[in-house]
Amino acid sequence: MRILLLVLFIFNFIYSQKNNLAQSTPCEHPLILLAEEKGIKAIPIRDLIKFKKIVEDCERLGDKEKIERMIYNDWQRDYEKAKKMQSWSSTHAMCVFVSFAYYFVGQVIATKPG
Amino acid sequence: MKSQIQVFIIMCTVAFGSFTNAQPKLSIDMGMGFYEPILTGFDQNEGVQFPTKSLFNRNMLVNWGFYYEFFNNARVGYNSFTSFEIGKNVLLPESKAAYSRSIKYRMFPIETYFRWKPKIEMNFTLAPIWGRGRIEIDTTPGDKEEDWDHVITSFGGDSDQLNDMGATDAMLNDWLGYSSMLGLRYYLSSRLAIDIKGGFMNNFYNEESWRVQRQKVNGPKMKIDDLPIFSMKFVYGIR
Repeated sequence: MRILLLVLFIFNFIYSQKNNLAQSTPCEHPLILLAEEKGIKAIPIRDLIKFKKIVEDCERLGDKEKIERMIYNDWQRDYEKAKKMQSWSSTHAMCVFVSFAYYFVGQVIATKPG
Repeated sequence: MKSQIQVFIIMCTVAFGSFTNAQPKLSIDMGMGFYEPILTGFDQNEGVQFPTKSLFNRNMLVNWGFYYEFFNNARVGYNSFTSFEIGKNVLLPESKAAYSRSIKYRMFPIETYFRWKPKIEMNFTLAPIWGRGRIEIDTTPGDKEEDWDHVITSFGGDSDQLNDMGATDAMLNDWLGYSSMLGLRYYLSSRLAIDIKGGFMNNFYNEESWRVQRQKVNGPKMKIDDLPIFSMKFVYGIR
């Protein structure tokens, strides 16, 4: 059991090293590739400063267009994903809106008894 | 055996944790809330002069929370709005007491949303509330100095080393309520956003169900039902 756990633990470190192997220019850094593929928010917080530096390096090397495209695609990805409400979420939104309207209309037109 | 299972779970989490890559779903937020309660029990109290009411201790709420996106267009989380009031020398018949009061509206919201424009989101929040009022008074109890003197002299000290003693007790009250809010969120970057919400909350507060040291007591009259509430906060997506 202990040997199995040890092997898993060592594998974790071996795997974590793998990400940094193929990296020739800043624009091909795994973090840039990850941001392009899965969005900027997929980058772990601990790598954010590093990512910012890589982006600056990439822009300095002349691939500003690539970074702009990456940011634009990120906005578009989030927008496409969330521009329509899905399943029960629209019903929930409608319930909130109705209760909101009922309350504020009531504040305006309701009269106090007595 | 039990600890071996726990070790196995922890090791697996460490071992396989690095394989997971996902869109961020967890966010934290901080900001301010605004509302207008009527705290008759404090403002029109003839027996005790509580601190004068102001925008800070009546209308402003400190707001923080966190959300988890559990469905495509929906988040669930925790959101706390707190109103504070502190007074240093509140006059009581026998002494001057330090006093603090907090009213916490702890919300457990379900929020649905959609993006109207790539940077603008509209959200709809429905939340049950678990409210808690807390009044704390730091005052001088009768026998405390004598008892402490007794203990100190038993250690070989002088009996007149203590001049003044204090004790803090708090009275508490819990209540339930609900809230409904519409909001507008503007994304400054893909992680950071500013969120403005407006709506109402209703609290089923009962002034007779306060307690001090597990004894039921009467509390201040407060009108905290049917209240419009507004909030403005910054949201940061963690992962």
